[in-house]
Amino acid sequence: MTRSARNFGRLLFAPITLIYLLFLILPVSFFLALSVLKYHPNDLYQPILTLENYRRLLFDGFYLAIIGRTLKIAAIVTLVSLAIGYPLAYFLARTRTAWRGVLMFLVIAPLMSGVIVRTYGWIVLFGTEGLVNSVLKAVGLINAPLQLLNTQFGLIVALVHILVPYMVFPIFSALAGLDRNVERAASTLGARGWRVFFEVTLPLSRSGIVMGSALVFTLTAGAVVTPALMGPRDGRVLGQMVYELVGSVLNWPLAAAAASLLVLCQFLIIFAKFRSGRRV
Amino acid sequence: MSDGATAAPRARLSAGLPPAPRVNLGPAQRLLAGLLVTLIYVFLLTPIVIVVAASFNPGQSNALPTGGLSLRWYRDFAGSDGFVNAFKFSLQLGLVAAIAATAIGLVTAYGIVRFLGRRRALGQAFALMPMMIPHILISLALLLMLTQIPLPEAAVLLIGHVMICLPFTVAGIIASLEGVDHQLEMAAWTLGASRWRILWEITIPLVAPGLVSSLLFAFIVSFGDVYISLFLSSPGKTTLPIEIFTFMLWDSSPVIAAITTVQMLMIIALGLAIERLVGLRKVMRL
Repeated sequence: MTRSARNFGRLLFAPITLIYLLFLILPVSFFLALSVLKYHPNDLYQPILTLENYRRLLFDGFYLAIIGRTLKIAAIVTLVSLAIGYPLAYFLARTRTAWRGVLMFLVIAPLMSGVIVRTYGWIVLFGTEGLVNSVLKAVGLINAPLQLLNTQFGLIVALVHILVPYMVFPIFSALAGLDRNVERAASTLGARGWRVFFEVTLPLSRSGIVMGSALVFTLTAGAVVTPALMGPRDGRVLGQMVYELVGSVLNWPLAAAAASLLVLCQFLIIFAKFRSGRRV
Repeated sequence: MSDGATAAPRARLSAGLPPAPRVNLGPAQRLLAGLLVTLIYVFLLTPIVIVVAASFNPGQSNALPTGGLSLRWYRDFAGSDGFVNAFKFSLQLGLVAAIAATAIGLVTAYGIVRFLGRRRALGQAFALMPMMIPHILISLALLLMLTQIPLPEAAVLLIGHVMICLPFTVAGIIASLEGVDHQLEMAAWTLGASRWRILWEITIPLVAPGLVSSLLFAFIVSFGDVYISLFLSSPGKTTLPIEIFTFMLWDSSPVIAAITTVQMLMIIALGLAIERLVGLRKVMRL
């Protein structure tokens, strides 16, 4: 490559590098650095190095309960999303129907409509006079309306609905990129039906499963809007806690320490992406 | 993306082979699988359909089923300054962010495809960085920056939106650029065109559909964002999702259903346009 080409190439990368450096790398690093500084009620921080914030998060019962609850909810949401997402991804990757494009679009469309829209949908569905309670009452299963809003159960259902597309797409990619000849070979060699699926297809789609699970897990752990609007009042999650620490308590160092736990989760994704290899 | 490039040779290879085995065997199992997929779709679509239904509710509460049809909540929406202004602000912000993210995405994608050679994967990973960091963290970090450096809040909000759109625009435009024959650019270069002229007169017209769809997709990403705007909205400069979020923290009324229905119709129309232009799968790197 000639020198002029190299210079032109550098010029092309100038805008994105400048933006990421000034508005992403530097501010995020500064923010995370606050996590090892001391809290000051009237200022952002005191310039004193301390591990106090992490100690409080990991040893104070109040914060520990929030972290434990967050991990539990994230694990449940991930497992349920996998149970729903895998069959859907498999269906989309293998179906021969002419409607495939439309069916694909129906999975993408909710994703594009934004978190608020979908959260609102569940608030309407789960209300005391909402559709779920109306139907259950009409069928005769219940007499008094069930409390679904502001419960952990309701929150988990809504989060699964909001995040399941993030599970479907990586698995779909893995299945669509899978060489069908491998399955044919297994079949020719005598493996029947489900055995081909469990011993060939499922292991080969592992990269998609890992990627999708990491995505759903982190997005659940960092959720703020859905838990704030329809989660239990006394059962907050990590993302919500960060929001409140900055929004009302103004304890930046502790918020930074909590956020770095979220980043730890995100490293899981990068690691999964690195391990799954095929897509960078 | 992964099957597009290899589909043709693979189809030829498997021409004389037996059909690939499928899981479903008996008719009973087929029926069960069909039922399962239908149920999943019901689960996915009910909350969205329900919002549309609730928006025509004549009553005060979110009760369903409703006792009649009414457009009163759409009138409420049109009459509410807060929501209308937020809607307008989100439109403007989305438009500017989409244009900026597509322009920067174009030069970056061009650089990645044509000038990085073996370091291409690294460049792609760098462009995807905002996707790797929780958005709430980006928002907090930018707010922190505002407390230290006096910058206009709206400008920082815009940059935040541009950053979360960039991973999508870069990836989408890379996919489009891969379809452009490098020989055409080489020919123009041999004939004496400058590098900028080649980009402007050869490459850009060839990837135009990809650019339009990346513009639309970036707009969708910006318009639906809550997390970046959560800490960066200021009085008079609040995005629609944040206006709805703060309203819903204290109150719930079918006016939200009317607003979100309008928003969804707009986004579905844009999504269909992208599907027509290049296919959504390409933009979303599937």
